[in-house]
Amino acid sequence: MSTVLEASAAPPAGRRRARRLHAREFGTLAGLLVLCLALWIATPHFLTVSNLLNVVQQSAIIGIVAVGMTFVILSGGIDLSVGSLVALSGIALGTAVQAGAPVPAAAAVGLGVGLASGLVNGALVTLGRIPPFIATLGMMSVARGLALMLSDGRPISGYPESFRFLATGHLLGVPVPVILMLAIYALAHLVLTRTLLGRYTYAIGGNEDAAALSGVPVRAYKAAVYGISGLLSAVTSLVLVARLNSAQPIAGIMYELDAIAAVVIGGTSLLGGSGSVAGTLVGALIMATLRNGLNLLGVSSYVQQVAIGVVIVAAVLVDVGLRRRAARGTVV
Amino acid sequence: MRRLRGASLGVFALAAALCACNRGGPGDRPTVALVLKTLNNDFFIEMTEGAQAAADSLGVELLVQAPEREIDVEKQMQIIENLIQRRVDALLLTPSGSREVVPAVVEANAAGIPVVVLDTRVDEEALRRADGSVATFIGSDNVEGGRIAGQFVADRLGGRGPVAIIEGIPGHETGDSRLRGFREAIAEHPGITIVSSQTANWERDQAFNVTQNTLQSHPEVRAIFAANDPMALGAVEAIAAAGRTGDLVLVGFDAQPDARTAIRGGRMDATVAQNPREMGRLAVVSAHTLLNGGSVPPEQPVEIELVTRENAQPGGEAEAAEPESAAIEPAERAAAEPAQSEPGDAKGVGAAAESAAPGGGAP
Repeated sequence: MSTVLEASAAPPAGRRRARRLHAREFGTLAGLLVLCLALWIATPHFLTVSNLLNVVQQSAIIGIVAVGMTFVILSGGIDLSVGSLVALSGIALGTAVQAGAPVPAAAAVGLGVGLASGLVNGALVTLGRIPPFIATLGMMSVARGLALMLSDGRPISGYPESFRFLATGHLLGVPVPVILMLAIYALAHLVLTRTLLGRYTYAIGGNEDAAALSGVPVRAYKAAVYGISGLLSAVTSLVLVARLNSAQPIAGIMYELDAIAAVVIGGTSLLGGSGSVAGTLVGALIMATLRNGLNLLGVSSYVQQVAIGVVIVAAVLVDVGLRRRAARGTVV
Repeated sequence: MRRLRGASLGVFALAAALCACNRGGPGDRPTVALVLKTLNNDFFIEMTEGAQAAADSLGVELLVQAPEREIDVEKQMQIIENLIQRRVDALLLTPSGSREVVPAVVEANAAGIPVVVLDTRVDEEALRRADGSVATFIGSDNVEGGRIAGQFVADRLGGRGPVAIIEGIPGHETGDSRLRGFREAIAEHPGITIVSSQTANWERDQAFNVTQNTLQSHPEVRAIFAANDPMALGAVEAIAAAGRTGDLVLVGFDAQPDARTAIRGGRMDATVAQNPREMGRLAVVSAHTLLNGGSVPPEQPVEIELVTRENAQPGGEAEAAEPESAAIEPAERAAAEPAQSEPGDAKGVGAAAESAAPGGGAP
């Protein structure tokens, strides 16, 4: 409740909110650092340049999807279709390559399919007035089915080296997916903090009616947010296809849940209106670090799932605690 | 500051648990990683048990890792990359995707880690193009297994009737080979037609639905071949739900304990035994040989046989007996192929056979 009130309140409250966000992000960051410290003590293989690059690279796939998810969740919605859109965009790209299209054109087809599907989600939510959970649940199934239909259920393999550079290349010793991910986060951060789109996204998520009453074109901006999510799913698919040298119709299953987990660990409220992409980045890094560390330590795969679940719930518990304390602060 | 501490508390508790996990250094024992497709399948669990028994007797540290879902190649690659960072001494791998996993194999090559591939082949052309290599492939001839299954179905049907297939994940070398063998055998009998061939992605619950749908659309079907046992077991339930148990011939693949039970109970007719336990054992023995400077043949076939009601032994006893009989084999193998292994490792393998089969009659 407190979030809703604050987000729609006057500027001073907004500034207060920003300060609190910082505290929360630092909390998440402290969690990541503690995790790293523990892994450093536990295994000599963790704190090496090559392993750290490895971790960041592994966080890129879910990390990029999670940026779009952050936008959607900030706006008070949810996007369950991202995993299927990763598959569909990849298959669209693969089909285009197979049909003889040059790689940049094929990539544009993939990105176009992702963006268009995202906008369909947006239209269903705004014009169709369907709850985002249902609209994107439908898209999740439709996109997966289309990916399977287009590909006949088979992976489409074999891409030129120039394209695979997206996943396997390095610039100044840094893997390209890492650079791409950081660039997307930087851009998303600017959009959310410096542009109208960003401010409106928070406003709609904070209190949609209040936003509409104060003249925000709610429908257009909401649809745009789902478009961004679809587009970023497609960007992810480019990296994934380049990494596997294969577009798979069954790719991306459960990515939506990993992305939601990264967003939530990063301190963004599932109710919308509060959170940040910086937090999401840390959330994605925590998940990748945890998986990496558990692999390095040779912890049983069964235990790993328990550990990841525990971290998700612990992060939200902490978040709820902070929120309550902050709410008390505002009242007093 | 208090907030900061609060936020990190949960993670810290976990971190402490992590530290505790790293009990006792492995010393100078070689570490071998077994990366599976999944751990939600008896086949891979049996493979792990075979590998663990061999690792224990050879003094090898075995790490077993698998993605949560069998189809998740990307996560399997992450696991491999992480294990390379950990500098495991050898990598034993059942690829989730024959082509997709190639870059990870190449990374292991670059790190000087020998790669032993089990069960599913790495796509040879893709591997060659990427300049990668695997030390040895250990697995069954899946085409031959499919052929045996097809021949069994043809015999049971007397050479005529409609047949349905439940496929694994398209593009998986294992499943594709089984289907190819099955289709080849069926093609020799013009009276038999394949009326339906659909994927259930290796999964039991999906196979239930696919079978149910197939029985709706093709009630005339006389036999079903499922490319693995979990899917066959899903079909068992769907056939039972349709009240048609015993009415059609059902053949699976893998000879898992549940499938053997179903065959003894008359709910399934046959399955092709692959012996994953032996694959796991052989993989660890091969890695051990390679690490001691020995060499192993590039292909190590593991025998297959058709399991029907006549030879589907009670599960428990068969399970217990299997590792013993399997453990005797390496000594024979080492004796029979002295040219292929160094004297030093032959001794190691012999020792493995003795300790893996306590009380067993090692020759």
